[in-house]
Amino acid sequence: MMTTSRSTVGGCHSGLKRPIAAHCLIFVICLAVGVAAPGCGAGSVAGPAPDFEAALVLREKLASATGATEAGEEKPQGTGWATLKGRFIFAGAPGDAKPLIVDKDTEVCSKGGMKLYDRSLMVDASTKGLANVVLFLRNSSRVKEPVPTDALVFDQKSCEFLTPVFAARVGQPIDVKNSDPIGHNTNISGTSFNQLIPAGESTVFTAGRETGLPVTVTCNIHPWMKAYAVFREDGYVAVSAPDGSFTIPNLPAGEPLEFQVWHERSTGRSGAISLDQPELKWNAKGRFKIQLEEDEVRDLGTLEVPADAISG
Amino acid sequence: MKMLVRTLDMEYETVSAFAAQAGFKTPSGDLIRRDTRGHLSSGLFPVWVLGGVAVVLLLLTTTGCGKTAAASYRLNMVESAKQRLKPEQEQQVATILAALFGTPDEPIAPSECGLDAAKLHLAAGPVRSDIVGRKNGLYREHCAHCHGVTGDGMGPTAAFLNPYPRDYRPGVFKFKSTERADKPTHADLVMVLRNGLAGSSMPSFALLSDAKIDALSEYVKYLSIRGEVELALMRAFFELDDEDQGRLPEDREFLIEEIVLPVAEAWQAAEDALIDVPEMAADIDMAASIAKGKELFYGNKANCVKCHGVTGLGDGQVNDYDDWNKVVLQAHKTVQGGLEQAGEASTWDMDADEADEHRAELAWLDRFQKVLDGNALPPRTIRPRNLRQGIYRGGMRPLDLYYRIHAGINGAPMPAAKGTVPPEDIWHIVNYIRSLPYDFNGTLGVDKPMVARDRL
Repeated sequence: MMTTSRSTVGGCHSGLKRPIAAHCLIFVICLAVGVAAPGCGAGSVAGPAPDFEAALVLREKLASATGATEAGEEKPQGTGWATLKGRFIFAGAPGDAKPLIVDKDTEVCSKGGMKLYDRSLMVDASTKGLANVVLFLRNSSRVKEPVPTDALVFDQKSCEFLTPVFAARVGQPIDVKNSDPIGHNTNISGTSFNQLIPAGESTVFTAGRETGLPVTVTCNIHPWMKAYAVFREDGYVAVSAPDGSFTIPNLPAGEPLEFQVWHERSTGRSGAISLDQPELKWNAKGRFKIQLEEDEVRDLGTLEVPADAISG
Repeated sequence: MKMLVRTLDMEYETVSAFAAQAGFKTPSGDLIRRDTRGHLSSGLFPVWVLGGVAVVLLLLTTTGCGKTAAASYRLNMVESAKQRLKPEQEQQVATILAALFGTPDEPIAPSECGLDAAKLHLAAGPVRSDIVGRKNGLYREHCAHCHGVTGDGMGPTAAFLNPYPRDYRPGVFKFKSTERADKPTHADLVMVLRNGLAGSSMPSFALLSDAKIDALSEYVKYLSIRGEVELALMRAFFELDDEDQGRLPEDREFLIEEIVLPVAEAWQAAEDALIDVPEMAADIDMAASIAKGKELFYGNKANCVKCHGVTGLGDGQVNDYDDWNKVVLQAHKTVQGGLEQAGEASTWDMDADEADEHRAELAWLDRFQKVLDGNALPPRTIRPRNLRQGIYRGGMRPLDLYYRIHAGINGAPMPAAKGTVPPEDIWHIVNYIRSLPYDFNGTLGVDKPMVARDRL
């Protein structure tokens, strides 16, 4: 590496200088790529910006509005009461229930080799009835019965909740029992109720607010335990029996009623079930409308839930 | 790393040696000199190259990469994706929130919330001062880097913290003196700010004045109320009667009476919902109490060992999630399940409507996945407290431990013992827990392990 010619402008005269400059250049390029490639917060989905002018208009409107409500359309009210009944059946093959992984307190929860099974899809073998479908009335105008004062019993034994899906009325006391020789805690999501229940004891829970769709009930000590609960203000809710049948008595007659239908394993949004029924028009949110005559007992007959409406 | 340093060293020596040999380096060792043509040059590059680089760097650092926009609130995209909101519906929610709660720089609150506007003004906005000695923008200065400008617990540093900073939007707070389902009182928020949460990344802000802590507590309440109203608005779309062109009614009856008022009232009720704590007997026999507490700790009534472990190290239950992470976890499961379901469906024999629905479903799942990747933190499990360390997040006073056992911890799997474990028994458990860090059963030695787990 002789250093003879210095005639060229710029520094890179010899073979040895070039590697240095090349190193610098490569370093700068890598730096630039390293900074540019991930970007500055690229990847987060930006929601739409608020419409500030509309917001100001709305703010003034809310500030100036008096307590009086706008005269909306009066919902038509009928008289009398009616009953709705029906039966859900499952057209597909339910398959075998998966056993749950039981790894705590096995001397009680796996006593004698007992296995606990997933109860998300319970289909009666002989009648093909689909159990644990929840049906409730949205927005009732009037209610016949007052809130019941005797407690609804919700028990757990052998490390599983005895009622996989239960319905109660807002304000109705629920006796949450633990009939096991070990302690459990019952955690009703969405209600901030998470209570330790020692062996053999019970505690009372009263729902203060209605749920939109059923919420999960779990035990943190035994994570495989799961049930669903739905609380409604008016109490017009039914959970289908093992043979798929349900009855809701004392519904307001003579006015349009909208029902919501739900199943834990439904493929509809948030568990809503929408069926293809010729007489009842179901919408995508799992709702159908019906109007009952006074003292009518409407039997919707056999409501067939197709195989593709249930996941897995 | 070593290799890099060695390489640089070698290069430096080579360059210096060569430069000395070549006469490039002047005796004084200055870098810039004139070359044979009289042009200024450094040993390595001509001056114009260095000058150009310097100018570019100067430009980048002084002007930045564009003007900084005013801070804006981020929409709760996970909830919006979960509720399948369309962009118009998202915009309606954002507009209603702007109408009710203003912007990060100019917060307002409906009068029903009972929030002090002066305190909000002190805490909100960019860090600035309009009165000598008084700094505004406290939240952005002290809190926003972890808790985020929106109070969503997803500030720039959040991803690196375990546990994640609190997301105020569901209105659930863990360490308070009220019953499990109730909101914290103002004093609870002040205590958390003043003491920090030992064992987490939440520091103590005891060096701030009382007025500043007050203002920050008020601002946290404001962000929480705003977040709860946002969730309520997004969930309200499902309750609308019409399915597609769902638009929330924008009248006082709906927005204020049905949505804002329940939230505001819950916060105001907190001040009166303190847990009634019966005093521990002054002449209590501590040793007996600790023994009784140990029985209860291991027994069937309180079931503490089931989660805190037989050694009290918090290893009894390690796969559970707190409510904030559970939401994201369940969202991931929903998307996974949906993708599997959609993958199994064959579009071959679908008619036009079904195919449209299928495509819409896939588009929704895709968007939800993007939201979970970009707008949510990866779900993390929550470990039960290691009781052998003597570090308790919510405070180490016996009273604090009583609160945690009595009401459980809202948002966490810790259940409430209220009603099923009588108060004297709770005090026994508290005394046992306070003895656990000092629980040592004898002599040290090679064959006598110190670690609690090995001792049993």
